[in-house]
Amino acid sequence: MGAPERRAARGRLVLLIASAPVLLFLLLPSLIIVPMALTRGQLLQFPPEWISIKPFRDYLQDPNWMASTLLSAQVALLATAIAAVCGTAAAIGLHGRHFRGRGLVTGLIMSPIVVPVVVLALGHYLVFARLHLLGSALAIALAHGLLTTPYVFISVQTSLATQLDPALVRSARSLGARFGSVLRHVYWPAVRPGVAAGSLLAFAVSFDEVVLALFLQGPQTVTLPVRMFTAIQFELTPKIAAAASVFIALAVLGLLAQALGRRREARP
Amino acid sequence: MTVSGRSVEVVDLRKSYGSHLAVRDVTFHLQPGEFLTLLGPSGSGKTSTLMMVAGFEAPDAGQIRVGGQDVAALPPERRNFGVVFQGYALFPHMTVLENVAFPLRMRGLPGRERRRRAGDMIEKVGLSAFADRLPRQLSGGQQQRVALARALVFEPDALLLDEPLGALDRKLREDMQAEIKAIQRRVGISILFVTHDQDEAMSMSDRIAVMADGAIIQLASPAEVYLHPRTRFVAGFLGETNLLPGTFCGTEGGHAVVRFADGSTGKARLPVGVFSSAQGSAAVVSLRPERLRLCGAEGILEGRVESCTFLGRHARYVVQALGQSVAVSTTEWSPGSALPPGTPVRLAWTAEDAQLLGEDP
Repeated sequence: MGAPERRAARGRLVLLIASAPVLLFLLLPSLIIVPMALTRGQLLQFPPEWISIKPFRDYLQDPNWMASTLLSAQVALLATAIAAVCGTAAAIGLHGRHFRGRGLVTGLIMSPIVVPVVVLALGHYLVFARLHLLGSALAIALAHGLLTTPYVFISVQTSLATQLDPALVRSARSLGARFGSVLRHVYWPAVRPGVAAGSLLAFAVSFDEVVLALFLQGPQTVTLPVRMFTAIQFELTPKIAAAASVFIALAVLGLLAQALGRRREARP
Repeated sequence: MTVSGRSVEVVDLRKSYGSHLAVRDVTFHLQPGEFLTLLGPSGSGKTSTLMMVAGFEAPDAGQIRVGGQDVAALPPERRNFGVVFQGYALFPHMTVLENVAFPLRMRGLPGRERRRRAGDMIEKVGLSAFADRLPRQLSGGQQQRVALARALVFEPDALLLDEPLGALDRKLREDMQAEIKAIQRRVGISILFVTHDQDEAMSMSDRIAVMADGAIIQLASPAEVYLHPRTRFVAGFLGETNLLPGTFCGTEGGHAVVRFADGSTGKARLPVGVFSSAQGSAAVVSLRPERLRLCGAEGILEGRVESCTFLGRHARYVVQALGQSVAVSTTEWSPGSALPPGTPVRLAWTAEDAQLLGEDP
């Protein structure tokens, strides 16, 4: 082994020693949830009394918890659809256009992730109260759609900047393509990865969003994160850990899907 | 399949960006089957003109007539021009065949007919073996040919080429120049070509429109533009030239008589078009180095050899005359006959080879 390789190996070792504690610190809160969901006891506790799948069974058999899970999934799906359509349309609409106030429009689209969520939630609360929509799944989905649109917008904008040659649009038009055909044959292939990645992120953000869901909830519309939040205050049941494990599983699945998608794209 | 090009008339086309007049009253008539080049430096308005013909930019004024019909108000997808862009702009996710069939698909042709006609066109540009490849699996020259095939397959009224060879290296450029000319002869299409490369313009065009500051300065055949430039700009932009200042002393036998600073007089062609300079006014004569001769007493201008360089195909003298350096290129050169620096010589030319220049607008 020559001196440069030795130096590189030592560098890798130092990097590992330095970053391991940081990684552990970042992951630990998530990782201790899973063993806690496998307790035999009646309480959410650490260390857990091993080992049982009873918390999972309880979670899956509790109609309230199941209703919340289903509601969260429905809300997240609807919010993702809203964000995907609005974010993609906004990114394509702004693409290659230069006009006075373009920065303002971009800022407006991005504002939901800049404005404090509590402020956003209060505003939504007041507006939906006026519209008599408080406590409906639609209200939460609309609010989440607004909140997650910037994620799709950014993601699609990145796709457009890196994947789309502006000459392609002109080229397609000169070859006789009308707007719909340009959208389908030029924009869509270029933005597809961005729409997929942005939508995944939008779904994840909506699925575990608490603040808006808490403000807009009704007796029939308690999303899963809100139910967990309430439960931890009043009952401390291991079902919370079981539900949290579901979140972790979803996140891991999402990351895997993204990694697989990226690998498929990289292949020629 | 024979595509026959139609005539494209551009009349008084004008476009400004803010306060900047980018295209000023550009007028030309692309004849059926003609190869017309818009030649000029960047910012001369040549690309803006092409983009207006293609429909990507809206003119402030003027007409674009195809076979007599004004198309200036139509969007690009409803005009019938084949456009080839500098970077080719092939659809990256479509195969060669799909790319070439795309314009036919947009025109609603059935799949089988599409594939047949696209296949024919691909064969015509010599890429049949590559029909199922994606653009990124092709070389630059092959991509260029796909772009040409795609722009020709729907039998457009004319082909518009925006610096299509800019991205290729020198050798490939020359091959593609010949290829484009060959394809044009085969299908008989009218071509409007934009370039800043004078060699490209000279070798390919039937006519060249030299542009500067948004206006066409001269529109003529390559030989005419080269040998008889209308203004100082045209003379300097195409090839190398010597510009000799003098005084206009009237005409004689259809030629201008110019008196130079040392008192000698020479003849030159009168400027193309209207020439209004009065006798006694300042004038500039353009003399191409290869049209000048070095000789003895019968020459026109006195000078002194400054240097001589042998360049293979020809030799290049630099002569001091009228207080400036004048380039003379000659093929009559041998190692023994080279004139050493300091030799007094005279410069001679025939009146037809010298061009009195008009004013740049």
